Amino acid sequence: MAQAMSGPAPYIYVCTRTRVRKAKLLPPEEYARMLNMSIHEITRFIEETEYKKEIDELGTSFSGIDLIETALSWNLAKEYQNILDITPGTLKVFIKAYLRHWDIQNILTLLRGKMQGLRPGKIKEVLIPAGSLDRVFLDRLLMEETPERVAETLKGTDLYHIVNREISRAVEAGTFSHMENELYKEFYAGLLDIARAGLKGGSQFLSFIQLDIDITNIRNLFRLRADQFVENIRSMMIPGGSFSVDELQQMYVIKDQNEFIETLQKRMTVKPVQEALEAMKGARSGHEIDVGLTRSQLEQMERMSKINPFSVHPILVYLERKRYEVVNLRAIARGKESNLSADRIRACLVI
Amino acid sequence: MVDVTTGVVMTEEMIKASQVGMKAIGAGMAVGLTGIGTGLAEMSIGAAAVGAAAENKDMFGLALLFTVIPETIVIFGLVVALLLLF
Repeated sequence: MAQAMSGPAPYIYVCTRTRVRKAKLLPPEEYARMLNMSIHEITRFIEETEYKKEIDELGTSFSGIDLIETALSWNLAKEYQNILDITPGTLKVFIKAYLRHWDIQNILTLLRGKMQGLRPGKIKEVLIPAGSLDRVFLDRLLMEETPERVAETLKGTDLYHIVNREISRAVEAGTFSHMENELYKEFYAGLLDIARAGLKGGSQFLSFIQLDIDITNIRNLFRLRADQFVENIRSMMIPGGSFSVDELQQMYVIKDQNEFIETLQKRMTVKPVQEALEAMKGARSGHEIDVGLTRSQLEQMERMSKINPFSVHPILVYLERKRYEVVNLRAIARGKESNLSADRIRACLVI
Repeated sequence: MVDVTTGVVMTEEMIKASQVGMKAIGAGMAVGLTGIGTGLAEMSIGAAAVGAAAENKDMFGLALLFTVIPETIVIFGLVVALLLLF
């Protein structure tokens, strides 16, 4: 029905719904309160929020940290599928394509779990069926014995050709990093194709994807520079953003960290990212850089959603905010479980 | 009186009837055009109101109030139409 409707009303409807949902997300001061709680108190606390249904449903099967983790994953998957259901027309095409990154994440988790011989129940706990591969299909994959069998079962899905091409090499090498790079490169290439297909609202989606690609490339550059073991990084970079792959390679070889950051600042005109890069000058840990970049990306997404209030932006911003709420809650719960200090946990939060 | 464009001689009755007709057209346009304006304004507000009420039922009253605010435009149109006709 939504597709048959014309005019801006369906966009306004869904954007308002996502804005209301965004307003319901946990505010930063709640995270500060949770840092002083025990695991049981955190469970009780999130039971009083949007996670009540999942906590009640899973309370009989899980307890402690497992209950929190599984409830968060279920809630995230349910929320994403719900957003997809209420999204009209071309927005649905964009959102559906964007949510495919959960398929990649799930398949890689599954393959890595199978490679390490983990039992299906353990792998299932960390899967988030928020993409096009639903719970039933993921359960089928979980029942397979080996990574090769998992790859074979993927036949008929978008991921099959790359997984099938890379699986023997990955199993032989014992690492799925090359496959991961290839899957994400194909994923972003697909998103860029959809954004440039001439659909209504495609230009806004394109700007969002390019920002995502830029931040991913910058993050990877920082990580690679910290490791300093690769000569040629071209195959690890995602093309299609503001930087060409050659440009990224040139930046990678800059010796001085501050000079590298300044070069990035000159090219990256997005203000929140520029500010985040400025704050990264001097000695900073890789983790802080990661969190700083994610924060700047979210800030820029917020700005974009205010410039285009009835476009794909408010929906994508909500999806990302929700994702990081789950990441934050998981970080707090895991941190508490491992007896980490409140300051250490706070540094991992994306607020 | 002679209508210069058509060359038809208009009697006083014809002029009066024409004026009444013009008034009726004006009244119709006042209501019709303001109705379209109200509809356009309510389309966006209504869509947002339904979205907000779907997420939070407490917002229903406020959402309804916001949705009917553009009704004032069509009421102005109606008042103008009534002033024209009576």
